[in-house]
Amino acid sequence: MNGGVTTPGRLSAALGLLCAVLAGLSLLVGSAGAGLPGGAAGGLILWQIRLPRTALALLVGGGLGLSGAVLQGGLRNPLADPGLLGISGCAVLGAVLAFYWGAAQRFAPALPLAGLAGAGLGGALLLGFAGRAPSGPSLILAGVALSALAAALLALALTLAPNPFALAEITVWLMGSLEDRSLLHLALAAPPVLLGCAVLLGLGRGLDALSLGEATAASLGVPAARTLRLAALGTALAVGAGAAVAGGIGFVGLVVPHLLRPLLGQRPGALLAASLPAGAALLLAADLLVRLAPLALPLNQEPRLGVLTALLGAPFLVAIARRAAP
Amino acid sequence: MRAIALLLALAAPARAAERVVSLNLCTDQMLVLLAPEKVAGLTPLARDPALSYVAAQAAGLPVVRPSAEAVLGRRPDLVLATSFAAQTTLALLEQSGLTVLRVGLPADFPVIRAQTRHLAAALGVAERGEALIARMDATLALAAPRLPPVRAVLWGARGYAAGPGTLGDAVLRAAGLEDAGAGGRLDLEALVAHPPDLLVVPTAPRFPSLATALLDHPATSGITRVAIPPALLICGGPFTARAVRLLAEPPGR
Amino acid sequence: MTGVAVCGLEVSLGGRRVLHGVDFAARPGEMAALCGPNGAGKSTLLRALAGLLVETPATEPRRVAYLEQGARCAWGLTVRQVAALGRIPHGDTAAAPVARALAACGIAALADARVDRISGGQARRAMLARAFATEPEVFLLDEPIADLDPAAAHAIMALLRATARAGRAVVVVLHALDLAMRYADRVAIMQAGRIVSDGPAAAALPAAACAFGLAYGVDPAPRLLPP
Repeated sequence: MNGGVTTPGRLSAALGLLCAVLAGLSLLVGSAGAGLPGGAAGGLILWQIRLPRTALALLVGGGLGLSGAVLQGGLRNPLADPGLLGISGCAVLGAVLAFYWGAAQRFAPALPLAGLAGAGLGGALLLGFAGRAPSGPSLILAGVALSALAAALLALALTLAPNPFALAEITVWLMGSLEDRSLLHLALAAPPVLLGCAVLLGLGRGLDALSLGEATAASLGVPAARTLRLAALGTALAVGAGAAVAGGIGFVGLVVPHLLRPLLGQRPGALLAASLPAGAALLLAADLLVRLAPLALPLNQEPRLGVLTALLGAPFLVAIARRAAP
Repeated sequence: MRAIALLLALAAPARAAERVVSLNLCTDQMLVLLAPEKVAGLTPLARDPALSYVAAQAAGLPVVRPSAEAVLGRRPDLVLATSFAAQTTLALLEQSGLTVLRVGLPADFPVIRAQTRHLAAALGVAERGEALIARMDATLALAAPRLPPVRAVLWGARGYAAGPGTLGDAVLRAAGLEDAGAGGRLDLEALVAHPPDLLVVPTAPRFPSLATALLDHPATSGITRVAIPPALLICGGPFTARAVRLLAEPPGR
Repeated sequence: MTGVAVCGLEVSLGGRRVLHGVDFAARPGEMAALCGPNGAGKSTLLRALAGLLVETPATEPRRVAYLEQGARCAWGLTVRQVAALGRIPHGDTAAAPVARALAACGIAALADARVDRISGGQARRAMLARAFATEPEVFLLDEPIADLDPAAAHAIMALLRATARAGRAVVVVLHALDLAMRYADRVAIMQAGRIVSDGPAAAALPAAACAFGLAYGVDPAPRLLPP
C-alpha cells in the first residue's frame, strides 16, 4: 500500500516503547555498577548522573535521526547527514569557541547558542556552496569540504585554546561523548532540540513534493527554497545544541532513514515521525554499550560514543553501497 | 629507592654553572628558586600562573623554546632537564659539548629534600638550598594527624585521583589526612557512591576544559571540598609544602 | 472555467533573452500543442504559463497542473504515492481522484509498484497521473509522451483530447509533429524565442517546415520532407 510493511504511527509507537525500555535499562547501568544504585548516594547517582545522560542520549539521537531524514528528503540525496555535510562539525566548532574561551563559564546558555550559530552558519554555507539547485554530487562535495574545514578549524582552535588540556579533548568533540553530563546540560540542550524537531516534523508534505524536483514542487504550491530554509533552520536547532553538549556524533542521521525505508517505504514524509524515536533508541543503545564496555573489558575509560556509532554505521553504509551498486 | 636511583643518575659537575637553561617546568621552578641570576632560559610554561609557582619572577626572566637549536643559541654551560625529556634533543645538546643534568620528578618530601640539595650544589648555591629546605620543613611541621581520621581524595583533571606512590598522596598524608584514593581514574559515579570526607581539587582554572569541568559536576556538590592551586602539585618542590599547609588549615577554620 | 495566458512576455535566463514578446493563451475546452526545434523556448513558455518564473504571477496550484520535462521521482515511491502527490494542493489524501487518475493513465494495475522499478514509459504515465490527480482546470505538460511506445503515446494523446473536450485547457509540448497535428485543436510553432505560427493544426505545417529547416511536400498528403 505505502511501499512498506507497517505504518508510521504503528512503528513510531513501537520505537517509543523501545526507547522507554532502553531508558529503563540506561538508568540501571553506570560505572558504579549494574542495577539500581544503592546506598546514601543512590538517588544522587540516579537523578544527577544517569538521568541527564539518558535524557540527553534520547534527545541528541532523536534530533540527529530526524534531521538525517529531513536532509536526505530535502536534498534528494541518500548520503545527506548532518555529520557528513559538516553541519555537526560547524556546531562543534562554535561550541568549542564558546567553551574554551570562557563565554560559557560566564553565561551558560552561550554554549548551546554558539553551537546553534555554528550549525546555522554551516547550513547556510552549505546551501550557498551547493548553489541554487543543490544537486547530489555538488552538495556532497560541498559537505565534505565544509566538514574538513570545520575539523581543521576545530584542531586549530583547540591548539590555541588557553587551557592546556584543550587539545587532548579533541576526541570528545570529534567523536562525541555523553559522559558525566549534568542536568544543566540537559536544560541547555533540550529547548532548542525540541523546537528544531517541531520545525522539522512539519516539513513532511514539502519533502514529499520535493521528491519530484523543485519545479514540480513549486507548481504544487510548495516553494523549494522555503522548505530547504526551514530544513536548515530546524537542523541547526536540532543538531547544534546537541553537538554543543555531546560533540559531533556521526552516522546516526545517515543510518536511521535507511533503516526505516524498508519498513515504511520511500516517501520522505513518511519517515519523519519514526526517525525521531529511531534515532533516540539507536543513540541510547550505543551509549549503553559504551557504558557497558568498561564493565566488561579491561578499559581505563569509556570509548567515545562516535567510535561506536561509526563502528556500527560504517559496515552498514558499505552494505547500502553494495546493494545500490548495479 | 627513588632517591638512590636519582643520586646515581646524577654526576655533579666540578665547577658551578653560570648560565643555565631549563627544559622542564619542574626544573624551571627549582632554578628560579635557587639561582634566578643564572637563568639563561626557562620554558614558556614557567610564566603561566596556573602551572608555575614562580610565574611572577619568571615573567622577568628569559624563556626559550625547548629545541636544541634554540638552547644552543643561549650558550649555556648547564642544561637542566627531566629524565622524561625528549632524548633526541638532549643527545644533540650533549654531542655539542653541553653538560646536561637529568633529574627525576620527586613524589615525596624526602626526595624533594635530596633533589633540592643536589641542584643547589650543581648551581653552587648550597646554602640557599638548605634555607629552602628549612622553610619547607617548618611548614610541614605545622600539620598533625587528624582525629578522627579524615578520608580525603585528591581528584584532578579528567578524574584522575592521587594514590600510593604519587606526590598527591604524600601531600595528603603530610597534612594528616588519610588518602582514600587508589590512583588511576576515579569516575564520577564511583566517587559519589563512596564519597570521601574531603574532596581536594585543583583551583578552577581561568579558562575551562572538559577535564576540569568534570570536577564541578553538581552531583559532587554535597562533598566538602578544598581547592589547591595546581601549581603547588604539578611539580614536587619546596613550595609543595604550601599545599600541605592549605589542607592542614582549610580556609574558614 | 478560465485558462491561462501571457501577453508580450519577455524572459531572460542567465542574461540571455529566451522569449521575445510572446502572446499565448490556453483556453478551456481546447487542446493546444507547442512545437518547434530544440532551444526554441517551448519549455520556458510552459514554465511561464505555470507561474514558475519571476516574470509571471504564480498560479493557483489547484487550478493548474504542470508536468516538468523529464520529471522523475528521487525516491522509490509507489505509483499510487506519486499520483497522490497531486493532492498536495488540496491538502487531502482523497483516494477516489487518485484511483481515477491511475485508471485514466492506464497504470492502475501498477499502483503498488515502485516507480523506480518500472519501465520509463510506465513511470512517465505515473507522473502524468499525478497531474490528473490534482483535477485541475489547466494542464501544462512538457513532453508527456517522450518515453512512451506508439500505442501508449496514442492512448495518452486521446486521453488529453478527451480531457480538453470535457472543458479543461490542455497545453502539450511535443516533438512528434504528426501526433500534434492529429490530436491537438491548435498547434503553435516556436522558433528562436518567438511564436511564428499559432492556429488550427492543419495550418501548422508550412510554419513548421520553416522553423525546422525542412522541405514541405503535399503529395500524397501534406508532410515534411528532408531539405
